[in-house]
Amino acid sequence: MKNDPGISKTETEGVAARRCDWPRWLYHIFRLLLGLVFVYASYDKILHPQAFALAVYNYQIMPDAAVNITALLLPWLELLLGLCLLFGLWLPGATVTSTGLLVVFLGALVFNQIRGLDIHCGCFSTEITEGPAGPWTVLRDLGFLAVSLYLLLYIFLLQRQSGRLPRSKSDQ
Amino acid sequence: MKEAKKPIRQALRQIPLLVIMAGTIALSVNYWRETPLPLIGDWSATARLTGQDGESLAIPLNEAKLLFQEKAAIFLDARPQLQYSDGHISGALSLPWQDVTNAFTDIATQLDGNDNIIAYCDGESCELSHDLALFLKDMGFINVRVLINGWTVWQDAGLPTEKAGEANEK
Repeated sequence: MKNDPGISKTETEGVAARRCDWPRWLYHIFRLLLGLVFVYASYDKILHPQAFALAVYNYQIMPDAAVNITALLLPWLELLLGLCLLFGLWLPGATVTSTGLLVVFLGALVFNQIRGLDIHCGCFSTEITEGPAGPWTVLRDLGFLAVSLYLLLYIFLLQRQSGRLPRSKSDQ
Repeated sequence: MKEAKKPIRQALRQIPLLVIMAGTIALSVNYWRETPLPLIGDWSATARLTGQDGESLAIPLNEAKLLFQEKAAIFLDARPQLQYSDGHISGALSLPWQDVTNAFTDIATQLDGNDNIIAYCDGESCELSHDLALFLKDMGFINVRVLINGWTVWQDAGLPTEKAGEANEK
């Protein structure tokens, strides 16, 4: 990015700053979005642990003895993650956990699609009316995973760089 | 270099803390709940077929066999039509759960509200017969039971079966 001779220096700096800012804006939007998704996803499951346990059981992945523990713990973990993302707390831990969880969810969905098990997603609601999980559920999860990965990369790579940016400017 | 490791170290500390916090809240809330979820659930087929009233939908094989011999029960095959055609319990009617509304109207005339009905499918974890039994109960049938893993246990016991088009072996 060389300075265009036709544009004054301050103008270029302003444009550059704005350009450099979009990852940060995207980061904030994604963080709030994923936070809301996790909080929303946890709500119904916390209210109906019995129904959610059945959804976990139907995935036929966990050993029977671990089904109830998973059904109890997972929604609260989702709620905590959602709150961390919404309020910008503990982001390194929250983004790693959210990415990990989404990978596990996606794996479980795809695994059951491949073996042709007709399961209800149980992603957002424990109600059976949500319909069986299909390719759209997988695509939706892929979308969330992409968002989570962006947040993860931002926290671990970009934020450090942008954190250095003002310092390097003042050094000049 | 020291700075680069910082978020990783934070993450390593925060992840277990998040899990522990979630676990503590989950267990406490569950403990204080009116009907706590047992931490280790009984997910065996029989337990899953037991309603909140403690009454089980499951019927033991020997009971089903007795009703079969006395011709006192109607067997309903909840598996897809194709599997039914490949072989089923002698005299069983096909009522595939996938197409339950159509299939039900087809055979409704052969059923009476007071009949002993035994629904079955195949496999310990098969939910089709369970769903079908609940559906029939909703439709007003009183004596509906489920023979868990029906097709397999029936064959293993050497009880009469038939294929579509074959003469009844009864």
